[in-house]
Amino acid sequence: MICSICSLLCDSDNLDEIQCIKRSAALARLDSIRGAVEGPLDTNVNSAARLKATNERLVESASLLKSAKRILITGRIASVATARSAVAFAKSHNATIDCAESGHVFKNILAIQRGGIYSVSLAEAREHTDLFLVIGNDSMQVAIPRMPLALSNGKPRSQTVLLLGDFGTAAAEQWHKAGFDTWTVPCDLENVPNALAKWFQWSEGMPRDGVDESSGVGPLFARLRQAMYTTVVWSAESLQMEQADLWVERLLQWVAGRNEKNRCAALPWLSLDGTFQQVCTWLTGFPGRIDFRNGVPDYDPHKYSYQQWMERTPDANCNESVIVLIDETLAPGDFLKPLEIQAAEGYSVIKLTARSEHFPTAVAGVETIDDMFRADQTVLARVLPSCERRSWVRPASDYLERLSK
Amino acid sequence: MGETRLRLLGKAFEVITRLHGAICMDGVGKSEVRDLILFGETICSELPPGAKADADYRLDNHVVVAGAIDLHTHIGGGKVNIARLLLPDLVNHRRSALEREGQELNWMSPLSSPVPGTWETGRRYLEMGYTACFEPAILPANARHAHAEMADTPWLDTGGYLLLGNDRLLLEWIRDGVPQSQVNDYVGWMVRAHQCCAVKVVNAGGIDAFKFNQRHLSVDDAHVHFGVTPRQILNTLSQAVDSLGFAHPLHVHCSNLGMAGNIAATMATIDAVEGRRLHLTHAQYHCYGTDGPHGYSSAANQLADRVNSDPSLSIDIGQVQFGQTVTLSGDTMHQFANRNLARPRKAIFQDLECQAGCGVLPFRYRQDQYVHGLLWTIGMELFLRVEDPLRVFLTTDHPNGGPFTSYPHLIRLLMDFDYRMTIFSRLHPDVLKSSPLPSLKREYSLEEIVKMTRLGPARALGLKNRGALQDGCLADVVIYERIANPEQMFSSPKMVFRRGTLVYRDGVFLSNSMKSTVVADLRVESQMDEWMKRIWRDQYGYSTEMIRVHTDELLSDSRSVEYT
Repeated sequence: MICSICSLLCDSDNLDEIQCIKRSAALARLDSIRGAVEGPLDTNVNSAARLKATNERLVESASLLKSAKRILITGRIASVATARSAVAFAKSHNATIDCAESGHVFKNILAIQRGGIYSVSLAEAREHTDLFLVIGNDSMQVAIPRMPLALSNGKPRSQTVLLLGDFGTAAAEQWHKAGFDTWTVPCDLENVPNALAKWFQWSEGMPRDGVDESSGVGPLFARLRQAMYTTVVWSAESLQMEQADLWVERLLQWVAGRNEKNRCAALPWLSLDGTFQQVCTWLTGFPGRIDFRNGVPDYDPHKYSYQQWMERTPDANCNESVIVLIDETLAPGDFLKPLEIQAAEGYSVIKLTARSEHFPTAVAGVETIDDMFRADQTVLARVLPSCERRSWVRPASDYLERLSK
Repeated sequence: MGETRLRLLGKAFEVITRLHGAICMDGVGKSEVRDLILFGETICSELPPGAKADADYRLDNHVVVAGAIDLHTHIGGGKVNIARLLLPDLVNHRRSALEREGQELNWMSPLSSPVPGTWETGRRYLEMGYTACFEPAILPANARHAHAEMADTPWLDTGGYLLLGNDRLLLEWIRDGVPQSQVNDYVGWMVRAHQCCAVKVVNAGGIDAFKFNQRHLSVDDAHVHFGVTPRQILNTLSQAVDSLGFAHPLHVHCSNLGMAGNIAATMATIDAVEGRRLHLTHAQYHCYGTDGPHGYSSAANQLADRVNSDPSLSIDIGQVQFGQTVTLSGDTMHQFANRNLARPRKAIFQDLECQAGCGVLPFRYRQDQYVHGLLWTIGMELFLRVEDPLRVFLTTDHPNGGPFTSYPHLIRLLMDFDYRMTIFSRLHPDVLKSSPLPSLKREYSLEEIVKMTRLGPARALGLKNRGALQDGCLADVVIYERIANPEQMFSSPKMVFRRGTLVYRDGVFLSNSMKSTVVADLRVESQMDEWMKRIWRDQYGYSTEMIRVHTDELLSDSRSVEYT
C-alpha cells in the first residue's frame, strides 16, 4: 500500500493511517465525479456522449495549439508517464515547460547547481542517523504529516530530533509519538545555517561567549557533540524567505564542511514535482524551465520559470498564447489545494485536470497505475490505484498524445 | 512470392535484405567478401531457395560487422541524472548554437554535455554503430528508474548490473557467517527482482564503511562496524555468481580507486576470488605503482601479465581522454577523497538506502598534467599488453574517463602507432621520460578491433546471438566504408540495421526500432518471495513490491526482454 499524495510514498505496516489518506483521495475523486455528473456537460451520465464531447474539444484544442505562437506547459505533474508526454509535447510544439509550483524545488536546485550537495536517502537516514535536525515550521507538519512515522518506521528510536525554527508543541508531540527523543529549539529560520555552525563549534569546545549556561544548553551541546551521522531535513515549501536558494546554499556548505571530520548529510524533501524534475532531466539534460522554441532544449532557471513566462508574455490575443495546464492530483481538504493559475485576460488555457469539465484527468496513483518518485528522489515506486477509473476520465498523458496528433 | 515466404518462415512480412560485395568480419568466421542475408530479424548465410531479397545493397570497399556492444557505460539511473542536474554549466553552448541555427552536426560535433539526455545518448551511440549498451551500476532501490531511463534511450538494447557488496543485509550475513546457499538465494532473487543481467561490486564494503566515517579500506582491512573485509565480500559474491550460473563473471570495481600503489589491492582482489571468473572494470584506474618522479607510476605490465596468464580474467579499460568530463561512481569513499580536484568546484555525494552510495565530481583531464598524462598512457599500455582482444574491452567508463563519442579516436590510437606517438609527445615531460609506451609497437588490426567491440563483449555477457555474423544471430549489422583513417571510418557508418531494419543511412536516422532489455535467466526459488518480503520490511522498512520491477514493465509494443 503506497500513498501517492504527499510524495512520501511510504509503505508501512501502519495501514490505517496510509489508507486514511489514500481512501480520502479516492473519496475526493468520487465526489468530483459526482459533481461532474451533475454539471452542465452531460446530465444523462452518458459516457459515450462525454467521450464524443471530449474528442470534439481535442480537435478544437489541437487547432488552437497549431496556430499558437507561444505555448507554456505547466501544472502539477506527478507521474513518469505524464512527465514523459509533457516533455515530448513541449518538444513537438516548440513550447516552454515548467511546473507551476517549481519555485519550491528550484530553491534546492539552484543551490545544488552552484555548490553541490551531500545527501542521504530516507531508509539510510532512518537506519543510520543518530541526530536529525529538522528545520522549518508547522507548515511542514501539514504538508508532510507522515514524515515522523516514515523516519521511525513505527519502531521506538534512540535517535534525537531537534526541531529548529518555528515548531509548535503539536509538531513536537508528533515526533515524540513516533518514538524520537525530541527537542524543540525555537530560532529564526533564516539564521539557522549560521546558528548550526556556531552551536557545533561550541559543542566541540569553542568558548561559549554570550551563552547563558543556566538555560540548559549543556545537554543539547552534548547531543551535538556525540552525533556520528547527522541528517538535516527541510522542506523547501516551508522556506518563505527571500532568496531561499541562498539559504539552502549556506546550509549545504555547512553540511559539506561537517564531512571533513564527521558524517553529515542533507535530506531535502521535495514535493510531487520531483518526478517531473527527474524525467525532464533524463530526457533533456535539464530539470525543467526549458524552452524548445529553437528546436533544442534551452535551459534558463529564471527566464523560463512559470512566473516569468506569465509576467513576460504580452497580453496578446487568445490565439497567440496558450497555456496547457496539467493537474493529475486530487486530495482531500486542504492537504493539496487544486491548482489555479492567474492567467491574464485573453490567454487561452487548455485544462487537463482532475476537475476539468472538458478533459477530466485521472488522478495519478489513485485511479491509474503510475510510477512516482519518493520525495528523496531515490526510489521510483510503482503506485497502484485505489479506485476504478471511469471510461471518460483519461490519464493526462493520453490527452497530450492525442493533442499532438 | 508472398506465399513462398510464408511457407519458408512460418510467418509473413519478413523483410529480406541482401548485402553483397562487402568484407564480412566478425572474428568467428574468415574475414572475406561474401553475401550476407538479413532474413527478418536474424542473419542468414544464404538466401533460402525460392526467396528473393526485398532490398539488395552493393557494397564494394565496405566492411560489414555486427552491432557494437558497450559493456560498461553509465547511461541510466540516479547518479547519471544527478550529474546532469549538477552540471547545466557544462552544456556546450557552441553546439547548441549550431543546432539552433539549423546547422547539421556531424561526427566531429561534441556531445552537448558530458552527460547528455537519453535522446542524444541513443542517437550518438547509433551513429557510431553501437546497438547495445550496459549500465554497470544499478542500485537496487533505483532499478526502476534506471530501466525507465534506458527505455527512453532510443535505438539501443540495454541491460544493467546490480550493485551488491555494500548492502548492509549482505554485510551482516557475511559477518554472521550465514551459509553460502543463503547468499546465493539472495543474490539470485535480487538480480531477478531488479531485472538485471550481472552483479557488480564497487569498492567492496568501502561505500558502507564510509557511511561509518571510515576513510580507507583495502582488501584485507576490516569494515569498522561489521568487521568484514573486502576479501570476504568478493569471495562470497564470486561464489554466488558462479553457483547461480551467471553468464557474466563478477564485475568488480576494485578497492583503492585511483590511489598510488593500488596495484597491490588489484592483485589481492584477483586472489580473493580463488580462481573463479572475474571481470575487472576500468582497470586503468587500478594499476598504479609508487615509482617515478612523483611517486605515481604505471603498473600496467603487472596486471596485463596476470590477465595474459589467466583465462578466467577479463578487463575493460576506462581509457582517459583529455578534456572536460564528469566522474560519477558508487565509490563515495574515493570520490570524497578527490573532492578538492573537482572542476568546476562542486560535487554531489549520496548515501543511499543501506545499499550503496554515489559521488559525482566534474573533472578536467589535462594533457600537460603529469598524473593525467600517466593515466592516458596506462590505459594505452593495458590495451597493447593484453594479448587476447576477446578479454580486453574498449571503454572510457563513460563519462568517467571521457565521453563514449571518443571511441573512434581511441580506435585510431590503437591501430596507428605514429598517431599514438603524436599524442604521446604532447604529454608532461616526466611522463615522456618514464613511460614505456614508445616501446609498445603493436598496432591493432581491424579484425582485432571488431573482436574487442563486438564478439568479445557479446561472449563476456553470454549474448550468444550477438557480436557475430553467423546464421541465427540478430540482424544488428553495421556497414562501414573502408577508409584509411579508422577514426573517420568508425565515426560514420554507411548503414546500420537493427533487427534487419535499416535505421540509419549516410547520417540520416530513418526509423526507430524494437528495443530489448537483457536480463539474467535465473530460476529463483518461489519461497524466496515471502522470505524476502519479511527481511525487506525488517531491514529497509518497506515492502519489496515497492521496488520490485516486474517483467511486464519492460514490455511494450516496441520493447522486449532478452534472457542471458
